Amino acid sequence: MPQDIHPIAGDKPAADRRPATADGQSLTLQSRFPIARFQSLIALFLLCLALSILSDKFLSFSNLWNVMRQISVNICISVGMTLIVLTAGIDLSVGSVLALCGAITAGLLKNGIEIPSQNLYIGFTVLGAILAGGLTGSALGAFNGWAITRFNVPPFVATLAMLTVARGLTMLWTGGFPISGLGDTFLFIGTGWFLGIPVPVWISIIVVALAVFLTEKTRIGRYIYAIGGNESASRLSGINVNKVKIIVYTIAGALAAVGGIMVTSRLDSAQPNAGISYELDSIAAVVIGGTSLSGGRGSILGTVQGAIIIGVLNNGLVLLNVSPFWQQVVKGLVILLAVIIDKSNGKGE
Amino acid sequence: MPKPIRYLLYVAVIVLLAYNSVYFKKLDEVKAGTAAFDAAAYAKDFWEKKLTPGLSKAVELGALTAQLKTEKDKAFEQHSHALGIGNIRYFLVKGQGIVTDVSENEVSVKLADTGESSGNVRIATEYIFGNAVRDASGQIDINAFTNSMDFNNVSAEINKLIRGKVVPPFKSEVKKGDRVAFHGAIELNREHLQLNNIEIIPVSLQIEKP
Repeated sequence: MPQDIHPIAGDKPAADRRPATADGQSLTLQSRFPIARFQSLIALFLLCLALSILSDKFLSFSNLWNVMRQISVNICISVGMTLIVLTAGIDLSVGSVLALCGAITAGLLKNGIEIPSQNLYIGFTVLGAILAGGLTGSALGAFNGWAITRFNVPPFVATLAMLTVARGLTMLWTGGFPISGLGDTFLFIGTGWFLGIPVPVWISIIVVALAVFLTEKTRIGRYIYAIGGNESASRLSGINVNKVKIIVYTIAGALAAVGGIMVTSRLDSAQPNAGISYELDSIAAVVIGGTSLSGGRGSILGTVQGAIIIGVLNNGLVLLNVSPFWQQVVKGLVILLAVIIDKSNGKGE
Repeated sequence: MPKPIRYLLYVAVIVLLAYNSVYFKKLDEVKAGTAAFDAAAYAKDFWEKKLTPGLSKAVELGALTAQLKTEKDKAFEQHSHALGIGNIRYFLVKGQGIVTDVSENEVSVKLADTGESSGNVRIATEYIFGNAVRDASGQIDINAFTNSMDFNNVSAEINKLIRGKVVPPFKSEVKKGDRVAFHGAIELNREHLQLNNIEIIPVSLQIEKP
């Protein structure tokens, strides 16, 4: 494979790729009004300002840390979702994969594995249980990628199938009951503090840093953008598109597992119905963060902003005692608004 | 780095991780350390010695819903129990009311007006599942169990007792217009509180004769 080919969009930072006129002048709102580049941050600032005026609890430290803990899970999942969406794919199974990985981690930690025919009991340490959960997520993600590339199944369908399969496996593994009482060491992941910052926030910071490095500084990062920009051209340029896609879905599965382990640890319980509709919050974060659903354009940091907006919005609506039914309506409208603004800026083409 | 050395490093890392991840024991030794747990016996014992005597501490449902409307946090703190820190929490409640409807799966009851609040609730008579009764009592400590399967089996056995002993005599006699008294467990979501469709998993049910 050529080492120096960075075709299509892969050779420029995503934010710099915009349609231009014949004389090289960009037509987008962003170029005319540079402030539009920071629309997510501006939206977040205005949201926080409004909530701090409307609720005296919003700016309290305990509430802000609580929001950050909650957002951490969505950030992990959304980072994986961003990589997938950048390749013009989608993953609807992250919520179910999250639940299964959390349940497997908790189940192995609590009960181990019994093999009566060999009179053998295999116990798992916290490290072992976490690795098993992570491997499960990676394997399910890889299977998604394999099904999509090997059988040319649309990502929507393949991951929808995995959504059901993973949820069913979670029910089978747990018997429909929560698995609780996982021990203080494991609880530290979801509830502990390190250097004055909650551990889940540290985990999400590490995940984001690695993902930014992957997308900005590595060859595979450029390939991800290239495939989303023009898959056929990428293939003709010598990129092993199928391999890159499988890697991306594997990473997304692993990150869903990270989210599942964090949720399980935070609750000290693996719930069989954990993660329901998490995929929607994740897609919302990606879209609000400015990543184009048609692939090739977007950034990890944009998704982080999107996840924070979704998290703050969720928290604010609860603090303001808005009915859960209206909360869904508001969230839906915010997503729609984000897409419309994105389109008007020319990023979503 | 030469390939053989790289592969050797990979193997070393995998072995190191595996060594620190799992441990092996003889199954009969593990089983011997934890005598076979009889969930049915545990549930029966819990029902007779802890749950039934503890019903006197159940909160009046009408008063609870009134408090939830005005002092939600205080009401959850005072009366609810749950494992972990999730928003789903359980209450042990009691009340009286008039039966407004009897269906295959539930009995609808209009709560007697206690002066504080009144409303409609549903008493489950068919689908008795979940951990509401076990957790609402607040008298079972998960740390007393060596594994979660045993803990969950206790819930299943409690639900079996309800399906076998509590529901059948009530269900066979209850009819619209009856005045009933109940003790039971309810599940409420602290974040998304819904008080207009409360379902009660019954622990005791009486039809009060005029």
